[in-house]
Amino acid sequence: MLDNRLIRKSLLGPFLTLSILLFCESGFAAPDARALLKESESRHRTKTQQYAGELTVVNREGKIRRKGWKSFREGYAGDARNLIRFTDPPEVKGVGFLSLSRSGGQNPDQWLYLPSMKRERRIAAQDRDASFVGTDFNYEDMEEFDHEKYKVALQGEQTVEGYPCHTISAIPLEKGGKSIYEKKILYLRKDILYLIREDLYRKGDKEPTKRLILSDIQNIDGHWVARKMEMSDMRKGSRTTVLLKEIAFDKPQTANRFTLQNLNREGGD
Amino acid sequence: MIGRYLPVCSFLLFVIPSSALAQGISGYVEAKGFAFAERSNSRDPWGIGWGTLSTKWEEKVCEAQLTASVRGEWLTSDEQGPLAFDPADRRIRRSPVSMQDLWARFPISPSLDLQLGRFQLGWGKTDGYSPADAFLPRDLTDPFSDEKIPLWAIRLSGEARALRYEAVVCPVTTPWRLPVLGQRNAPLEVDGVPEGTVFTEVDTPPPWTGFAALRLLATYGEWDLGAWGRFGVRPAPLLEFRFDQATATPSGLSVPVERHYAREEGVGVELSRIVGSWIVRGETAALFSRDRDLGNALIGALSVEKGFGDGTLLVTLAGNAITPPVDEQLLFDRAILPALITAWNRTEEWGGWKLVWTAGLKRGDGLLKGEIAYNLTDLWKLTLGGELPYGSERGPFGALHAARRMHLALRRSW
Repeated sequence: MLDNRLIRKSLLGPFLTLSILLFCESGFAAPDARALLKESESRHRTKTQQYAGELTVVNREGKIRRKGWKSFREGYAGDARNLIRFTDPPEVKGVGFLSLSRSGGQNPDQWLYLPSMKRERRIAAQDRDASFVGTDFNYEDMEEFDHEKYKVALQGEQTVEGYPCHTISAIPLEKGGKSIYEKKILYLRKDILYLIREDLYRKGDKEPTKRLILSDIQNIDGHWVARKMEMSDMRKGSRTTVLLKEIAFDKPQTANRFTLQNLNREGGD
Repeated sequence: MIGRYLPVCSFLLFVIPSSALAQGISGYVEAKGFAFAERSNSRDPWGIGWGTLSTKWEEKVCEAQLTASVRGEWLTSDEQGPLAFDPADRRIRRSPVSMQDLWARFPISPSLDLQLGRFQLGWGKTDGYSPADAFLPRDLTDPFSDEKIPLWAIRLSGEARALRYEAVVCPVTTPWRLPVLGQRNAPLEVDGVPEGTVFTEVDTPPPWTGFAALRLLATYGEWDLGAWGRFGVRPAPLLEFRFDQATATPSGLSVPVERHYAREEGVGVELSRIVGSWIVRGETAALFSRDRDLGNALIGALSVEKGFGDGTLLVTLAGNAITPPVDEQLLFDRAILPALITAWNRTEEWGGWKLVWTAGLKRGDGLLKGEIAYNLTDLWKLTLGGELPYGSERGPFGALHAARRMHLALRRSW
């Protein structure tokens, strides 16, 4: 049986997190990180998002693990409702995860459906440092990025993968809950202001111990999205690659998709 | 005996599964071996082989969901019966081939589903022991697994705002399947019976009528609440030792054992709530029966669960406030009560492991289970485990001392 934590650390969150699009007009003389983030969030909010994901984990020894799932989201950030249904490998096929946002910044309600048990189970917020499905993402990496929970500041400019980027430091605030990171450095392409890299510093580290790189960026249905994401853990020597397929934005979702009844539908989406 | 099946299992493991199979088909083939530390009598084998081939087909036709699955098995022990057409699993021994799923689900409206056919039910909130779920039929061919038997049923399930409801009618009884009585998986200790007595199982047909149930569920903030009620035939049998028909044989007394099935009404409540980083779940059930061997019951279960990194700790306490008229062990669905169940499982990069300790609180016996699973690939898995019942032989676990064992399994999924 798939362990609860494997699912709780849903893959939906990071993709939302990492697909933050930052808006800025060219020639913005003195851009302010906070203002850019706010503007971006309101401008690039989507009503719905869905995709099929393929995840590959390569450990230090080169051993490869693969997983697949379908992901559906309605709403955005603080009002998001998410459903994930695993499709592969066979042992986790049909496992479902439902997350419903709650008002007032409270932790979302989350349930897990295990086909072997034929019923859903309420799950609690997990240890944020736990690995997600044996990948290099941890639970905190899976959470939706909320700039309000960070002290953000523009650090300067740097060219990454040939693209001029703004660099922004994001330091977790206490009010955003306990973070396993001391600091994040975000790299934003200046032309489309899309996040293409994140350096993650654990507490006490002077060098980043994890790095997320987003690539194969395409415009789909009028929204920029990275179709490939790779998280590397420099300590473990492993990396996790996520490929997004069949991406669709603002596609109407079937009625009752984000309900406990649907979560319990064996064989359903 | 085992050798007879090895070539077949090997063939299935390596040849049949293929990723080229159509989408919507899944399954596994598994070869499993058990080695025992002791025997309860000279008829018990030291080792058992168990091969399984299971395949499932799922298809969506318009808005309807169709599912069918078939399981084929080869056991080298007496626990398997002959090949038989037994669509409702009513025979005393399991057939080598069985239909596990054969159902269709139709949406009557966006929030109302009708499901009919043969499928499994899962009720209750608490893990380890759930009073709502314990009623559902199990197959005790392997006494240490918690294998449910699917039912032929009609289920209507819906949702209206925060309220969910589920009405189930199971028109035919699928009974619990018991291990071979008097052997290592079901040793019988009956007071006053001389040693060497052989119990002869009589394949008493279960009643045709089943049961009906209604379950209501609601979510309010961090609370998940539920209530249920059911009536009909209880699928766990009650054993009748027919000493009046006992016969003397050269090896000892032979006593026929018949079965009967009681009618029972039950109501229950269930809840779960997040308390800090813990999940607390609780259930209680009141069960009423006029059967003199069954009587009433007031069962409660309370469990707490917490995650530690990639591991989970689960502790469940369950008990029955009413002493039954017969030994609890003969009631099957409440045989282990009262009990404290502690489980720890952890997912690792290479697979996972789990440890379960079930302590019987009445007779001081218990069961230690451990299992380690190694994922050779995403599709191949090797599992090594062991079950160690201990303590008083008058307890439900201690009585199984001759079933102490190790097992090794190789599974290929697709």
